[in-house]
Amino acid sequence: AALRAPWAVPRKWYAGEVRTVFSYCENCFWKCGIAVKVEGGRVRKIDGQKQNPKSRGRLCPRGQAGVAQLYDPDRLKRPLIRIEGSRRGEGKYREASWEEALDYVAERMLKIKERYGPEAVAWFGHGSGDSWFVEYLPAAWGSPNAAKPAVSICTAPRETASQWTFGRPVGGHEPVDWTESRYIVLIGHHIGEDTHNTQLQDFAEALRRGAKLVVVDPRFSTAASKAHRWLPIKPGTDLALLLAWIHVLIKEDLYDRDYVQKYTVGFEELAVHSNKHTPEWAEKITEIPAETIRAVAREMAAAKPRAVLPPGRHTVWYGDDTQRMRAVYILNALLGNYGVPGGFYLAKPPYLEKYPHPPFPLEPAAGGCSGSSGGAEEVPEGFKPRADKGKFFAKTTAIQELIEPMLSGEPYPIRGLVCYGTNLFHSIPNVPRTKKALEKLDLYVAIDVLPQEHVMWADVILPECTYLERYDDLAAIAHKTPFIELRQPAVEPLWDTKPGWWIARELGLRLGLEKYFPWKDIEEYLDTRLQLIGSSLEELKQKGTLIQKGRPYLKDWERRHRNPFKTPSGKIELYSQTFAEHGLDPLPDYTPPMPVPEGFYRLLYGRTPVHSFAKTQNNWVLMELKAENEVWIHREEGRKLGLRHGEYVWLENDAGVREGPVRVRLTERIRHDCVYLVHGFGHKGRGLRLAYGRGASDNALQTRYVLDPISGGAALRNNFVKVVKGAARPRLKRIGQLARERRL
Amino acid sequence: MTTFYGLPGAEAFWHWTTLVHFLLVALAGGTAFYTAVLGIRRPDAVRGLAWLALAFIVLDLFMLWAESPARFRFSHVWLFLSFEPASAIWWGAWGLATSALMLLLLALGLGPARLWAGLLALSSAVVLAYPGYALAANAARPLWDHLLLAFFPASGLLLALAVLVWLRPAEEAAPWLQVAALASLALAALYPVALASGGADARLAFVLWLRGWGWFLLGSGLLFLAAFLARRAPALAGACALAGAFVLRSWIVEQGQHSLFVHGF
Amino acid sequence: AACVLENEVPPGHNRLWIRQRELGTFPDLTVEYRPEQCLHCEHPPCVPVCPTGASHQTKDGLVLVHAERCIACAACIAACPYDARFMNPAGYADKCTFCEHRVARGEDPACVETCPTGCRVFGDLDDPESPLHAWIAAAERVDVLRPEMGTAPKLLYLNTPSKRGLARQESEVES
Ligand SMILES: Nc1nc2c(c(=O)[nH]1)N[C@H]1C(S)=C(S)[C@@H](COP(=O)(O)OP(=O)(O)OC[C@H]3O[C@@H](n4cnc5c(=O)[nH]c(N)nc54)[C@H](O)[C@@H]3O)O[C@H]1N2
Ligand SMILES: Nc1nc2c(c(=O)[nH]1)N[C@H]1C(S)=C(S)[C@@H](COP(=O)(O)OP(=O)(O)OC[C@H]3O[C@@H](n4cnc5c(=O)[nH]c(N)nc54)[C@H](O)[C@@H]3O)O[C@H]1N2
Ligand code: SF4
Ligand code: SF4
Ligand code: SF4
Ligand code: SF4
Ligand code: SF4
Ligand SMILES: [Mo]
Repeated sequence: AALRAPWAVPRKWYAGEVRTVFSYCENCFWKCGIAVKVEGGRVRKIDGQKQNPKSRGRLCPRGQAGVAQLYDPDRLKRPLIRIEGSRRGEGKYREASWEEALDYVAERMLKIKERYGPEAVAWFGHGSGDSWFVEYLPAAWGSPNAAKPAVSICTAPRETASQWTFGRPVGGHEPVDWTESRYIVLIGHHIGEDTHNTQLQDFAEALRRGAKLVVVDPRFSTAASKAHRWLPIKPGTDLALLLAWIHVLIKEDLYDRDYVQKYTVGFEELAVHSNKHTPEWAEKITEIPAETIRAVAREMAAAKPRAVLPPGRHTVWYGDDTQRMRAVYILNALLGNYGVPGGFYLAKPPYLEKYPHPPFPLEPAAGGCSGSSGGAEEVPEGFKPRADKGKFFAKTTAIQELIEPMLSGEPYPIRGLVCYGTNLFHSIPNVPRTKKALEKLDLYVAIDVLPQEHVMWADVILPECTYLERYDDLAAIAHKTPFIELRQPAVEPLWDTKPGWWIARELGLRLGLEKYFPWKDIEEYLDTRLQLIGSSLEELKQKGTLIQKGRPYLKDWERRHRNPFKTPSGKIELYSQTFAEHGLDPLPDYTPPMPVPEGFYRLLYGRTPVHSFAKTQNNWVLMELKAENEVWIHREEGRKLGLRHGEYVWLENDAGVREGPVRVRLTERIRHDCVYLVHGFGHKGRGLRLAYGRGASDNALQTRYVLDPISGGAALRNNFVKVVKGAARPRLKRIGQLARERRL
Repeated sequence: MTTFYGLPGAEAFWHWTTLVHFLLVALAGGTAFYTAVLGIRRPDAVRGLAWLALAFIVLDLFMLWAESPARFRFSHVWLFLSFEPASAIWWGAWGLATSALMLLLLALGLGPARLWAGLLALSSAVVLAYPGYALAANAARPLWDHLLLAFFPASGLLLALAVLVWLRPAEEAAPWLQVAALASLALAALYPVALASGGADARLAFVLWLRGWGWFLLGSGLLFLAAFLARRAPALAGACALAGAFVLRSWIVEQGQHSLFVHGF
Repeated sequence: AACVLENEVPPGHNRLWIRQRELGTFPDLTVEYRPEQCLHCEHPPCVPVCPTGASHQTKDGLVLVHAERCIACAACIAACPYDARFMNPAGYADKCTFCEHRVARGEDPACVETCPTGCRVFGDLDDPESPLHAWIAAAERVDVLRPEMGTAPKLLYLNTPSKRGLARQESEVES
């Protein structure tokens, strides 16, 4: 212990003068409003913003722990340029000034443009700063190849299905009317481990108000422990269960007749189609007793319209995902709950104007959670359509399909990549392919905050400052009460790091795109946008959040004679004529998932409440809560394999990729035919001194994905692993010990 | 199956320094007690012993001070400005302070030596007793049974005698050594029985004990040897007693810190 | 995490942690999630063992440590049946304070305020107006940890899923 003055007991920060700064959180993509407490020039604590509809004064553990990311000594500190002659991945860098680094990037980008055209630079981005790098800059530059992992490795199926069923997106904030609901059926969707704050609050409130809960999950999730029924379904067979529920609702005449008549098309076709989907048929497939299937359907119906099957979020599972999501929505429609209290409300984006810059040559292409995106439509003269065009039905971007042209040059070459906050080696399946693609590029630029493994492959590394040190573009949240939130700095950037908007603008100027950057700095940009809607930056700095009025229910739309359903028929499409015209099943039907090979287990994965993806494993506060993931194996399977609880093993997939070592968690909480890993661990980047070498990466084992032909989603649950004994416990220091040096 | 997000404060809170303290405080208390008992009859003959006991006390206090994470705060004055008779350590602090004063007076030959020796007998008994009390007071730690109220004073005295047989004419201390070794041995043998018949956590306590029975056998064996050799080869007996008592006491202090809470409840 | 930041809890230690207990066998299962911290016992064994009076009980019933009086002897850590205390490297025994500094300002403790599920309520047990009492009255069962220790904790657990309340499940203790 350090010497201390005889009388000293360290003074607590809250005894000092504390300033509060309103902003929003970046530890996941939920964007909760935060109130940052600054004392003595340092951020000390982050609380929820009371007036903010996302946080309502509360935060999840990741939001609370943001301070430890800000003061992480492993952060990227200044621009780095890969040393001439070294290979990508070797990690040999020299420090550079921002001038030099940006000049370097611009020069090479212009060279690529000259030789191959602007579309040969792809832009990957994720996080609230991504707007500059997957929308603003690429559209100004003229590349349609901009994508986010949050589409095709996350929400694409549910968004596509929603568009073609309801004619509306689900959007980043799932418009489930939780608190009004009396009967909730979760398909996968492990709320409690998936800790999207507001959703967690509403879900808990619904249970407190007595809502019944059914959880369909091969694993006994946290949510399952709160459920009155847990259906341990055979992985990949959910569609059969959903179809059987549709069958029972129709055959037993339990559906909402008036609602279906008034708002939907295609019921007749659905009724005929569902004849074959008896609960007995589904029992054989799903391993859930027909009686239970019937009982749940009847309970659901009894609670309608306050019974709801939420869409979930990460829906890229087996390749039939859009159809599964269609079945989920059809069930909801049969329960008459869409646009009705206790079901789905109709989310509305807030009123906000764009900055009046000259029009970009291309529409921004990446699209968000809501899926719609440009780039695949007719493109103006001199530009090419997106490289994944034609691979699947929907217009979403598929990030993993944009890696292919880097290798094959088909349909045209992609020679450069700007990667903003996208975890190439943890978020995108088939890492060996990604590495090969990176090796082939002429230019790979990473803009990040941490020396993640994929970052240390880049030619140029541009260190962004963290969300507590910068402005970003306004966050416009579609919600029951739509609102706008401000990201503003609580403290000055540490080291030689810069905000994303500055990097984008400086790069834009160097790329000859001055005319798209008429604003000098972000304050001017934000103030202009806010002035256009009758507010100002000053006002938003004070308030943190601007809340507008919503139009949540069908009756609110009908009063104004407006139709919310933007489908071709203007109604909810139980039967999709458009799907039929494109040779797709107009009604969902069951197809079996890839079978599990003998001697292997299906690899399932999910979240832990105290981490976000693969980006918080260097945060000491969170690492003290959970320092490594474990592979969940049923106790009896463990006994058969001779495994001890807590021992370290390797996992090996059916393509021979080995990952680990990882601890065994013997548990009753999972079926016999699958194993489970929490996503985000297994970091191989040495620069992340806390994260390095702890646990196993699910993504490393996901060398295979099945492309959902409708949404372009990369279905990840088609990988199979076996357990290899004999791994040694990795020799690593305890987190507490490592963390001592980074004490706040 | 139980898992955690974060962990309870189940780490060991006492370290090797504490084990050394348990040894030194026994040497101090035991030597002081021996000094007192001899001194009541022949106060002049114990001046050397008194210096030795005093040295042990000083060494022990230095050890405690040096290892304390609070050593550069003057907080220790609160030990004497407070009145906390329920606290074993409070008694220990006063016991050590009084003993030190008495020993100093005896060593310097000042004042009524018999009276000092009598008072020293009391205060050094407190010093011998308080570690056992400090352990046994923790109802939540099953290994720290009430039997330790007797075992720690007995083995404490034994530790002091083990040193004294080397330093003093052996024939004087050896019979004491034998008695103390036999008493400690008997209590050590009773210990597992006491654990197994204890309160709600008896079964667990016994299971914990079973994990360390090897150490116990070793310690008890050494005590037996000490008793057996006490009159034949006092120096060797002293070594055995020192090692045996130290092993047993350290094992109990070290293992007793393991909490049950982290596993069950 | 809220507690760590609010109270500058040093790395390697926790004032608050979550225990997850799996009960039953597939498919008849339940899991109990239980936040644990200092229970502010009515009869706290950690107080009488303190030689300096640093560890004390306030008029309001909170059990707190006067850091500047503490000599870091760890007697109180040994005495706590719930492993709620630890030695702060700054040289004093540390543990949950029920965020007395916040409560004094009329706010909820940091962990209560942030809890997204709102499953924690904080209030004055002696104040019949406190919303606490409505919760307790509505609960099917109310438990305390290790009642056999006679500590009379003031942290109450409502409706714990394990049917046997919080009595120890013998099978769980590793041996
Ligand atoms: N703490 C935390 N919360 C997060 C995130 C985070 O990183 N950390 N990330 C956020 C993001 S972007 C997303 S997309 C969401 C993802 O969270 P969700 O949308 O809830 O993800 P799912 O894949 O539906 O849920 C995983 C669950 O599906 C189960 N499962 C696996 N296979 C099957 C199957 O075949 N059928 C059924 N019925 N269940 C199956 C698994 O056992 C697991 O319990 O979480 C969000 N919330
Ligand atoms: N195997 C597997 N793959 C998955 C998933 C899975 O469960 N398993 N989940 C999928 C889902 S649902 C999603 S939404 C995606 C998420 O995909 P990503 O968003 O790519 O996931 P993260 O691991 O959070 O990576 C974020 C990256 O941004 C960096 N970063 C963090 N903060 C900042 C910042 O302020 N500025 C900048 N410039 N960079 C920052 C981090 O260091 C990290 O490199 O992953 C998908 N991929
Ligand atoms: S859910 Fe948690 S991590 Fe995500 S934005 Fe909200 S507080 Fe931050
Ligand atoms: S829980 Fe432990 S530290 Fe807290 S009052 Fe009770 S005995 Fe003392
Ligand atoms: S460690 Fe401090 S608070 Fe605890 S008993 Fe010792 S002096 Fe008292
Ligand atoms: S009340 Fe305060 S000190 Fe106690 S656990 Fe909660 S946040 Fe920590
Ligand atoms: S739900 Fe509340 S009590 Fe439970 S772990 Fe989260 S914050 Fe803590
Ligand atoms: Mo996601």
